[in-house]
Amino acid sequence: MFRNERMIGLAVLAVIIAILPQFLPNNYYYDVAIQAGFNAIVCVGLNLLIGYAGQISLGHAGFFGLGAYASAILCTRYGWPPILALLAGALVVGVLAFVLARPILKLKGHYLAMATLGIGIIISIVLNTEAQITGGPDGISAGPFSIGGYTIKTEQTWYWVVGGTLLVAIWLANNLVDSPVGRALRAVNGSEVGAEVVGVDTARYKVLVFVVSAVFASVAGSLFAHYLPQITPAKADFFKSIEFVTMVVFGGMASTFGSLVGAVFLSALPQVLTVFEDYEAMILGAIMMGTMIFMPRGLVPTLGSLLVRRRG
Amino acid sequence: MTLLVVDNLSKEFGGVHAVEGLSFAINPGTIHSIIGPNGAGKTTLFNLITGIYKPTVGRILFQDQDVTAKPPYELAMRGMSRTFQNLQVFFNMSALENVMVGRHLHLNRGILTSLLRLPAIAKGDAACRDKAAELMRFVGLERFLDAQADSMPYGALKRLEIARALAAEPALLLLDEPAAGLNATESHEVDEVISKVAKQGVTVVLVEHNMKMVMGISDHILVLDYGKKLAEGTPEQVRNNPDVIAAYLGGGAA
Repeated sequence: MFRNERMIGLAVLAVIIAILPQFLPNNYYYDVAIQAGFNAIVCVGLNLLIGYAGQISLGHAGFFGLGAYASAILCTRYGWPPILALLAGALVVGVLAFVLARPILKLKGHYLAMATLGIGIIISIVLNTEAQITGGPDGISAGPFSIGGYTIKTEQTWYWVVGGTLLVAIWLANNLVDSPVGRALRAVNGSEVGAEVVGVDTARYKVLVFVVSAVFASVAGSLFAHYLPQITPAKADFFKSIEFVTMVVFGGMASTFGSLVGAVFLSALPQVLTVFEDYEAMILGAIMMGTMIFMPRGLVPTLGSLLVRRRG
Repeated sequence: MTLLVVDNLSKEFGGVHAVEGLSFAINPGTIHSIIGPNGAGKTTLFNLITGIYKPTVGRILFQDQDVTAKPPYELAMRGMSRTFQNLQVFFNMSALENVMVGRHLHLNRGILTSLLRLPAIAKGDAACRDKAAELMRFVGLERFLDAQADSMPYGALKRLEIARALAAEPALLLLDEPAAGLNATESHEVDEVISKVAKQGVTVVLVEHNMKMVMGISDHILVLDYGKKLAEGTPEQVRNNPDVIAAYLGGGAA
């Protein structure tokens, strides 16, 4: 029942990504779309943790940043090929997330939020202060992304790379959700003890989804580092983590396409709101509050059930 | 051979002895009931057997192996499953998916095969879906095959938990008050489901207040009072035991 819906959704998204450039008049718009795409990749992964498994992380920008810095450091300082640096970054982040997850995912609710917040802050401090490796607050350049002699130079090419990566990320996430592993994750969210008594090792699955979501963030971070001329610790700080969580919650928890919509909407909105100058932050805040009050389940699930009701 | 042995089991909550020095054995292929007044320690006993609580003292043997203080998922792997008095349904999923989670141990659970949705996953899931639907029909929930769990009435959710537990194909099924809060018709239906389950060779242990049901379907009854064994035996023996009558009707009645 799920499967067709997912494939249709993925096809629709592919078409949207394919025709969107017709409406992007210049590089500025391409940049907005690309940044939205990067955010969306992180959010699709983070939603597996928050939306489906019902855990929270206020430190995912840390993993995003670690992926970015792994790529920048390995490519610039050690001359690694970007794709190897990306994979090495993902591996390091995966191992780190695995080691951290066991103790912290024993915590629940506010305590888990605090622990993950701590992780994010520590990573951000290390990136800021270990200047001889990371370049400190000024950041570091990762250089252009090249693979097999081909180098990504234009925004247009970056657009296709990010669009393609996003499609793959969504495909992977949706596959996972609709599998025995995915059902176990959702069961952990529904009732941990209920899941345990039919054989789900809940601790193991919480660790697993934490690692998977961290690796999603790391891969996005690695590509992001090559896209920007310079990666700075600000891309890995607390506010960035909050931004990711907000996108997931706004778009709709436990909905992969919701995370995508949340990420795109909240990435594009500040650009639209710049015309309001000083009121930008206020309007953004008001939209967020309004969503939480009137659509606590988030944008996409709320609109989805509204549609179903109309049709029914 | 005995399926489950409880040996000198005690559980203390800050000085309160919820279960105290309890020993009994359960033979395979029968329906056992655990009864007793409110607060007698029945649910605590269930939580101890299924690994949700760790005992203060004592041992639990399941299929001749010591399983004391093992976590619930490990006991599930060994063939033990249960339902809950206060529902532990996955309200964020459909009814069918709830039962499909029960098949967890019988499916391919590789992370890479899942992410890539290799054919093994699709095939396993299709079979799992059929099996889950069959179990929902078995417990009389065919009306709810397309329902979301959070839209189902209480009586149906009780049976959904039974279907989920059965999906794990347990050797021992523990039911915590399966008929609580059900009307006479529903409770009769649950009664029939339990008998059918037992006929398939699953050993059933239930905690239940509905005496009519307990006396009707049990092969063996254990009576608890204040965390200790008060009596044990066939329904007939228990019914005529003066201690049991006293506990239920008050001291003077015997």
